[in-house]
Amino acid sequence: MNAPTILSDVSRRAFLQRSALFGMAGVAAPFVTSLGAIGEAAAATASDYKALVCIFLLGGNDHYNTLVPYDPTSHALYAKPRGSLALGRDALAATALVPSVDLGGRAYALAPAMAPLNPLFDAERLAVALNVGTLIQPTTRVQYQNRSVRLPPKLFSHNDQQSFFQASSPEGASSGWGGRIGDLFQSGNGSSTVTCINASGNAVFLSGRSAIQYNVGTGGPVSLLRGGSSLYGSATAAQTLRRMMTETNPNLLASEYATVNKRAMDTQAQLANALAGTPESTFPLFPSGNGLADQLRMVARMIAISGDLGTKRQVFFVSMGGFDLHDNLATTQPVLLGRLAAAMRAFHDTTVALGVADKVTTFTGSDFGRTLASNGNGVDHGWGSMHFVMGGAVKGKRFYGTPPAIGHNTPDDVGQGRLIPTMAVDQYASTLARWFGVSEGDLSTVLPNIGNYDKSTWSQGFV
Amino acid sequence: MLGDDAIIDRDDAALISEAAARADPSNPAPSEGFDARHGVIAAAALLAACDSGGGAGGGTVSVAPPAPTPTPTPSPTPTVAVLTARGASRFLAQATMGATRTSIDSVLNTGIAAWIDAQFALPRDMSHWDWLVSKGYNSESGGNPSGQNGFDASVWRQAIAGSDPLRQRVALALLDFLVIGINGINLSWRAFAMGAYIDLLLDHAFGNYRDLLGAIARNAAMGSFLSFIGSRKANPSTGSLPDENFARELMQLFTLGVQQLEQDGTVRMSNGVPLETYSLDDVAQLARVFTGFQLATSDNKTPDRMREPMVINASTNETGSSTFLGATVSGGGMAAVDAAIDIIFRHPNVAPFVSKQLIQRLVTSNPSRAYVGRVSAAFANNGSGVRGDMKAVIRAILLDPEARDESAALAGANSGRLREPVLRLTNWARAFGVTSPSDAWTIGDTTSTTQRLGQSIGRASSVFGFVRPGYTPPGTAIAQAGLTAPEFLIASEQTNIAYINYMQSLVGGGTGDTKADYTAMMALAPNSAQLVDEVNLILAAGQLRPATVTAIRTAVDSIPLTATNATLNRTGVAILLTLASPDYLVLK
Repeated sequence: MNAPTILSDVSRRAFLQRSALFGMAGVAAPFVTSLGAIGEAAAATASDYKALVCIFLLGGNDHYNTLVPYDPTSHALYAKPRGSLALGRDALAATALVPSVDLGGRAYALAPAMAPLNPLFDAERLAVALNVGTLIQPTTRVQYQNRSVRLPPKLFSHNDQQSFFQASSPEGASSGWGGRIGDLFQSGNGSSTVTCINASGNAVFLSGRSAIQYNVGTGGPVSLLRGGSSLYGSATAAQTLRRMMTETNPNLLASEYATVNKRAMDTQAQLANALAGTPESTFPLFPSGNGLADQLRMVARMIAISGDLGTKRQVFFVSMGGFDLHDNLATTQPVLLGRLAAAMRAFHDTTVALGVADKVTTFTGSDFGRTLASNGNGVDHGWGSMHFVMGGAVKGKRFYGTPPAIGHNTPDDVGQGRLIPTMAVDQYASTLARWFGVSEGDLSTVLPNIGNYDKSTWSQGFV
Repeated sequence: MLGDDAIIDRDDAALISEAAARADPSNPAPSEGFDARHGVIAAAALLAACDSGGGAGGGTVSVAPPAPTPTPTPSPTPTVAVLTARGASRFLAQATMGATRTSIDSVLNTGIAAWIDAQFALPRDMSHWDWLVSKGYNSESGGNPSGQNGFDASVWRQAIAGSDPLRQRVALALLDFLVIGINGINLSWRAFAMGAYIDLLLDHAFGNYRDLLGAIARNAAMGSFLSFIGSRKANPSTGSLPDENFARELMQLFTLGVQQLEQDGTVRMSNGVPLETYSLDDVAQLARVFTGFQLATSDNKTPDRMREPMVINASTNETGSSTFLGATVSGGGMAAVDAAIDIIFRHPNVAPFVSKQLIQRLVTSNPSRAYVGRVSAAFANNGSGVRGDMKAVIRAILLDPEARDESAALAGANSGRLREPVLRLTNWARAFGVTSPSDAWTIGDTTSTTQRLGQSIGRASSVFGFVRPGYTPPGTAIAQAGLTAPEFLIASEQTNIAYINYMQSLVGGGTGDTKADYTAMMALAPNSAQLVDEVNLILAAGQLRPATVTAIRTAVDSIPLTATNATLNRTGVAILLTLASPDYLVLK
């Protein structure tokens, strides 16, 4: 793609330097050998391989203090209702974003804690999607107030809007759009089980109509009896254990539990050897003490072994909690955003080092945005939000969508600065799906409401 | 107690050399898994106490939005069932943290209804608070003012050894949807704050749901977890508005849910669209009521203020009127809080919303509409015109024919619920008399999804808890059948395996001095049929299928009696295989 090569070189050098700093000098030779092997494995299928990675910010991230209005007029409109929660313009100067395409006089800055992402924006590896949120069809303020269009049910409710973002349906949804994309590609993978991979908890996003999400854990698959072949001294008992755990059962719940057990054991056997060849220690860019980084490192390891497994297309889900900041916003959110930025940066730099940066597109999602109005030390549930798309294929250093008006009683406001989304999650998703290789004809299978939007908007152009 | 030399070997300990599997030809024929030593003791009385109650509107004031007053579904004619040891064990698996041989005998002696009444009359076990104090965690030097020391120990101690098992079980069910997680409490003395909250659930488990709501709305841990401590009335000059967190979740998660419900739990529709329960404005208005809350005192030298009800600071409390759910409160202070809770409590949704979740927690993931309707009716009116009487609700849930009909549950492909992971641990611990002579109860935090259970009491990461009542695992036959399975939210490829590995350690050697007493099992262990039948009865309510029983017996018999620690290892095999069996894992 058109991404500058300088980042790649810098990153690779940093990767190697930091691995030495991490005390790996003693094993430098095997490490380099191992890295080379990873690169070759990935390169063998490089022309085919693509991965989508969803980073979900659980709890509804406050977008106003994540992508902060920065031009003086906008900042003033933002700062007054935010009161003590507002970030000052001075503090934002270092992380202000200068896009390659002007935004009609509007400007934004990243939260200062997200500084590790500024170089990615400048290098055209990071794009911003403006005012993204759950919708069923295009919706204006008047239409919202008159309830004259269909609206996502249970707006402002965490669990339901998480689900609607991921599945176009509230809690209880039977499949999500990541999984429905997986449906289309799993037959082309060497092992269909490793098409939709979750490195956090269960999420409806990754369940397709036929594709099943596989939960991989951050340390790789857990081995039954910790790899032992006997139970309390009996090999027979261990064999009985394996058989009994996976047998079908006349009770539906019991049978499904056994199905999960069987998938766990089968896939563990399949992945264990491949992952052993790409140990955590060969991924030194990821910061420690960062749960999201742990998950993304596992994603990177899975990508690194994709060649071994004959995998062509993979959809990943990782998540990070704690964003429901009705209080302590000013102290807590910067910590979370700092972890987010550090983990994203490490992940991107690792894909560069692996030579697959343009094969991996990472994007953020969240329950909803927040109110502009402060409740004193926090903000309440909103709707539209700001999101990030990252990767070598991304047409970065740009904003996509429409910058929303800031304040109360604007055409974009449904109260206290809750934004009516102007980019539907469906449009955000269809853009990603098209890059991944979903045909235009299959889009309505993946995103049932996409037909409610003009076809010219099905790709927002950011990747 | 077992001596150190008798600890079941783990694979990493490898105390025992592999013995060739050798079938014992003297084994008796496979048992049907039915305990014959306890004959018919209590029978027909068990179904008598199911209150059908009055109409759902009885004793309540109707508040908009109105729901039609339903006619409660009459209880089906009780079928006279013979209470067996297996039935008693199954009941105890629903109503307690796990059956024991003693409690099975007790239920057989008194019958189920009388056993419930006896539980209602029992005094509470020592509170979490008092236990933490008794261990010195309240001293600034010896304690841990900012930390959680003692919390897990107290929780496991009560769950495993509590002398009030029905109360413990109901409180855990309440904690599954009236959620606080200790890590989300931004207060000092967190073990005390969380302990005090669980104490409230235990205190009110047999009380009235309205009183429970009033108590949790004043609880310090809740005030912090849902951030209404410090919430201030609207400030027109700055545009600052009250924090909506508690107002929203009080309605969405604790009382009403997001959709209007019939009394049997079905969603009310209009033109094919579910009717929602409240609007954004309702939340914003209710939030005005929960302003000005603060801890009772500013003294942080002791944990005392973590259990004292919060107070309202008049200067930041909204005293103007707030209109929500079609009703209005005004005047501020705790009077407005109580008036607001009264309005919510009278909403017709509360009975089916709370009743269905309690059924799902205790009995089955997919109760029939009629079952929900019967329990809702008992919630709405205990027969004496009282709404929210938990004793009536508990009786209605546990004595309902749908809960008690074992043969229907075993025959139905969709019946039962997945035992949640923490209950699997307590099932084992209670069944085999786990104690901690030092009172250390070192089980600790079990939330790790790759090393432990993926769940730990009082450690949910958000107010949405570990399980969701409407969850269905996508892409499965459960989803295709239109069923829910809340506990599958925390079942995954990694956690299912981690559970086995963790229990392998616990069953084998306990943790610290928290250990089982297998004396009675080891006495049976030379005879694999007797051993497996007893484990099946106590741990699995006799629900292991014959083929499963046979497989476990064969595995037990693979350890020859001549082997070192043979009876102990045979016991361990019987227990762990039972814990791993899908027959056990789904309590029908």
